Amino acid sequence: MKTILAVDDSGSLRQMLSFSLKAAGYGVIEAIDGEDGLNKAKQQTVDLVLTDQNMPGMDGLSLIKALRAMKNYQSVPILMLTTESGDDIKAMGRAAGANGWLVKPFDPTRLTEVVKKLIG
Amino acid sequence: MLSQESVPDLVETQVMRLLSGVSTHGDQHLAEVERDLVQMDVLLNEAIKKLCASFMAIHHAIDLQQETLKSMLSAGKPAPEQAARLETLREEIGQHVGAAVTGLQFQDMTSQLIGRMVQHLAGLRDVFGELGTNGTADLPESGSEEMLVMLNRISDRVGARCSELAGAVRSTVNQRHMESGDIELF
Repeated sequence: MKTILAVDDSGSLRQMLSFSLKAAGYGVIEAIDGEDGLNKAKQQTVDLVLTDQNMPGMDGLSLIKALRAMKNYQSVPILMLTTESGDDIKAMGRAAGANGWLVKPFDPTRLTEVVKKLIG
Repeated sequence: MLSQESVPDLVETQVMRLLSGVSTHGDQHLAEVERDLVQMDVLLNEAIKKLCASFMAIHHAIDLQQETLKSMLSAGKPAPEQAARLETLREEIGQHVGAAVTGLQFQDMTSQLIGRMVQHLAGLRDVFGELGTNGTADLPESGSEEMLVMLNRISDRVGARCSELAGAVRSTVNQRHMESGDIELF
């Protein structure tokens, strides 16, 4: 089973992500912020990372940069899932190493289609 | 009738009373708004937890019901229209579940907006605080020049607080509806 790391400081958002991805057959590891996400990514290499941008402490962009600096995360797909949709912040995400940008709120069918496209 | 000499003194006193009044009342009202916003955030947080829990429970029950119906129909060789009806219902439920998952993400956005409002309120309270800092304690004993210096000082501090506030609180939520957002793969 492919495993996805879902990083978001909102409990309800994590719950909806987990529900949608598990229903599509994926395993889900939840993290409450960037630092927690980084620690969990170190404990187990996951198949895909979905991260929010604005979180207390380490934000999404910093998490992506930290993950891309790790050897085992250089080619793992990372998607940003955030309320933000400005071109500037998207460009920063792309430069940091994100593979895609999803604007909240997400539709579970569209989300799982994107995930399937990236990791099968 | 006021004497000519007493007018500047009275103006100074009135200016200080005005600043102090604006500061005190402004701060009181903002504190009330801040308290209400924080309470609203707590209530929304609790509401979303209950909604999510109920949603999960309903979804689980419907899944079990559908499995039961399916096995009952397969055991009894259902008419094709019954099987088709069951399949249509399953698809309809799937669509409603998807829409509910999208809708249930509202709290993530409202919470960010409330947090931003609270930060702005705290900033405004700082501004009001600067207006009231002098109160009457530092009121110049006499002379319009001292009064001008003091008002300039207050004005500078208010300006500095306003600049801090403008730079510190970035808008992160621009959504105006709860339809699903755009997806872009790089």
